[in-house]
Amino acid sequence: MKKLLLLPILFLLCSCEEQGELTKDRFNVTPATQDASLKYHGIFVPTSGISVTGEARIYLENNQYKVQLEGFSISEGPDLKVYLSKAATPSDFVSLGNLTSATVYTIPQGINILDYSYVLIHCQEYNHLFAVSKLIQN
Amino acid sequence: MRKLLYIMLIVLATTNSYAQGCSDAGICSIGNNFSASGKVLKNNVEFSVIFGKGEGDVSYFSNYISYTRKINDKISWSSKVTFSSASGSFGKRSAFGDAFLIGKYTFAAKDNKQWSILLGSKIPFTTSNLKINGFSLPLDYQSSLGTFDLLLATNFKYKKWDFNSAIQIPVFNNNKNSYFEEFSGTDDFLSTNLFERKSDALFRATYSINTKNQKFTFKPNVLFIYHLSEDSFENIYGKRENIIGSEGLTINGNLISTPVGCN
Repeated sequence: MKKLLLLPILFLLCSCEEQGELTKDRFNVTPATQDASLKYHGIFVPTSGISVTGEARIYLENNQYKVQLEGFSISEGPDLKVYLSKAATPSDFVSLGNLTSATVYTIPQGINILDYSYVLIHCQEYNHLFAVSKLIQN
Repeated sequence: MRKLLYIMLIVLATTNSYAQGCSDAGICSIGNNFSASGKVLKNNVEFSVIFGKGEGDVSYFSNYISYTRKINDKISWSSKVTFSSASGSFGKRSAFGDAFLIGKYTFAAKDNKQWSILLGSKIPFTTSNLKINGFSLPLDYQSSLGTFDLLLATNFKYKKWDFNSAIQIPVFNNNKNSYFEEFSGTDDFLSTNLFERKSDALFRATYSINTKNQKFTFKPNVLFIYHLSEDSFENIYGKRENIIGSEGLTINGNLISTPVGCN
């Protein structure tokens, strides 16, 4: 019987995560270089109960648009995403991926940048908007 | 515990548990807890270790511990907790998966024939959004699909044959998976962002073979699983997309061996 009680403890000991080749230091979108052209920018404004600093900048470099977060920090959230959005709410958007320690996010080819006026930080798991950056043309 | 049966089930040539049609340990193993050993005991504890291969280079151990109690000749119930560990190019992720609670009513046997019915539920321990190093992971690495399910099943036993039919219905979807193929660096896994799972129907036929010394039972069985409609996910534009080919029939072959010991 005592052996049986050890089983759940063994399970707990096995509870772990180890990074692999696809989850190791792969935040590899390079920041904008001096050749990049700053097209849009906007300061982040928090929603209720959230604190945020910094701004979103959109650069064009080698025919590729990138969103770069400058001087950025935000309250902790469980599942934060970076959205390029047509509105100040996450109703019509393109997801650029998880908000991580990366500061640069590639905008998919084929997106008409003129249609999108906001960068949003949104918690997908709890459907809670954290911060909004209204983009201004440079 | 007055009578406690400790069984380690080793499933050989097991199913690809995360493949199309077999959502998780739920419908694929429904009813096993009540009959795995072939012995009828008042209290029964099982520990199972299943090794499997998933999509891409994923391999996993899917374990469970269960407790089954026989109330009387007709009524019994079983609870089960699953735990899984998946390894592959994304790394290794281990976590508890789901809890199951299943009740069984057995009708009186007549002419070597016996019917029983099962009713149960599956409760997830995760929202299917486990990550490694901040990266979202595909479902093969998730210990649960994040759905609260209803399980309904019937069993017909005739001599050494066992026939099961079951249906697993997701009644509440709490899947918050955020895996996108576009951001992953591999095309081995389809996007499953905010995945929505549809129901499964199952039919299984099992034949029991006891070794001459009665120490082992072998149970070759064939499992038909029909996924009743296409699953879906939300793409990077926030629009829901069906996963083409996720509806349909999967046929699995299994051989279960049960070495039995009492303490």
